Amino acid sequence: MLCERCKIREANIQYTEVINGVKTEHHFCTQCAKEMDFGPYAAIFDSEFPLGKLLSGLLGVGEEQEEKKAHQVICPACKTSYEEFIKNSRFGCPECYGVFDLLIAENIKQLQGSDTHKGKQPKYHYNETGASFSVEDVARAGEDTPGGELDREEQIRLLDARLHEAIAREEYEVAAKCRDKIRELREEIGKC
Amino acid sequence: MLKWYERVDSGRPGIISSRVRLVRNWNQYAFPSRLSQKESLEMLHRLELGLQNLNSLDGKHYEYQYLGDISELDKKAMQERRVFNATIASKKTPAGLFLSEEEDTAIVLNGTDHIRLQMLSAGLHLEELWARCDQMDDYINARFPYAFDKKYGYLTSFPTNVGTGMRASVVLHLPTLSMGKKFNGLVAEMGRFGASVRGVYGEGSENYGALYEISNQKTLGLTEKEILDLVNRVALQLLAQERQVRRMALEKHRLEYTDEAYKSYGVLKYARRLSAKDAMVFLSQIMSGIVDGILATEGDCAVYRMMLGIQPANLQKISERPLSKEELDEARAAYIREKLPELV
Repeated sequence: MLCERCKIREANIQYTEVINGVKTEHHFCTQCAKEMDFGPYAAIFDSEFPLGKLLSGLLGVGEEQEEKKAHQVICPACKTSYEEFIKNSRFGCPECYGVFDLLIAENIKQLQGSDTHKGKQPKYHYNETGASFSVEDVARAGEDTPGGELDREEQIRLLDARLHEAIAREEYEVAAKCRDKIRELREEIGKC
Repeated sequence: MLKWYERVDSGRPGIISSRVRLVRNWNQYAFPSRLSQKESLEMLHRLELGLQNLNSLDGKHYEYQYLGDISELDKKAMQERRVFNATIASKKTPAGLFLSEEEDTAIVLNGTDHIRLQMLSAGLHLEELWARCDQMDDYINARFPYAFDKKYGYLTSFPTNVGTGMRASVVLHLPTLSMGKKFNGLVAEMGRFGASVRGVYGEGSENYGALYEISNQKTLGLTEKEILDLVNRVALQLLAQERQVRRMALEKHRLEYTDEAYKSYGVLKYARRLSAKDAMVFLSQIMSGIVDGILATEGDCAVYRMMLGIQPANLQKISERPLSKEELDEARAAYIREKLPELV
């Protein structure tokens, strides 16, 4: 079918308009569609259209009241507001996912067809209590990956970060373990 | 050492290359768009130090470059050779790159995400690429704790990458299928399966060279294995259809196809000026001619390598100076004359 606007190019966009319950169908080519005003959906016809922008289209349309409320949600970690997230379809930091979870869950599901990860889990430095990694993790990190063993300096650096995290969380037992392990590693370096 | 695109994988004619890409973020920093210049530089430095012995993992030779130190032309040429995408090539804030000598492994640091790991190879080798990505991912993770969520998986700047953070893709040569009326319908149908099909050098009938990239649309809710299987299946399905229509067309029009292949070879062999469009169309004909068994060359004919080589930034790099449009056409013809092997 030819585009009904230019009548030259093949129509590859079907546009269905419903006004007061009356449905009309139009067929346009990409170029004409780009030139016409489709409001938030116009971005779809841009050649470098990232799929993510569709999300901002979906999220940004209508629902003004909800939007007003949502605007006040700001990620405490990176200060990205929900409005900015909608505008750029881009998160500011890992915390944003938790902060905006209720507002975005449905849309992520729409975009991805699912809202639950089924794939690989990080091998190191992840446990479900939320702490970034355990002291034992650092000690065995990379052991079973060829060439993956951490050198002692790196282990100390990671343990040091973990030590501060543990103190902040008031997990003094973990902090003590980190301190002992760091001391042990420092002594080993001294001996070498 | 040969670059990955200089190798010819004739195992499955019509399949040009495979790619697996993972994005990851370090949980101690905000995503790149929210980092100050100082934080970016600090993180880059720490990532570079932590990954400086990458070669101990796979024995490859890696070079680290600060993206800001690479000239605009070199960045553009790297983008043409698929080392990274246009967004990263035009990025102005601090970013870094570990690149293997063969250019088959690239890690971009602080691009749109903290870590973008990509492996490329000629031919169809998604499983192998994933196995190597998986191993390198563990190596990186041993040094840097990742931003990971039990529900959403690996957390990324864009919601389109969240979950596995994985994009698997295969580039196919579909000269006959893409000419057919049903091709657009076929592409839409693949979309319903969750695979996107896009012209590598342009959209629709403007995609000179007839190279198409198949990749997974979704990154969440599927395992890595399921993503690989999907892309593999769709790629092989399209290739099977291409072969079928090609066989039928050859039976009916063998002389026309033979004529086209030889004419294309003749033009490429002797032309003194070639536009990008003509060069791509004729190279595509050569690719088909070899697959159809019409043309045979002395040694391998790395057609895809030539397709990468005749892109503007790569030609300017060879000439070591900026070229006007006419000069580009001249350089393009010269490049192909030099690279095109003799017929046997």
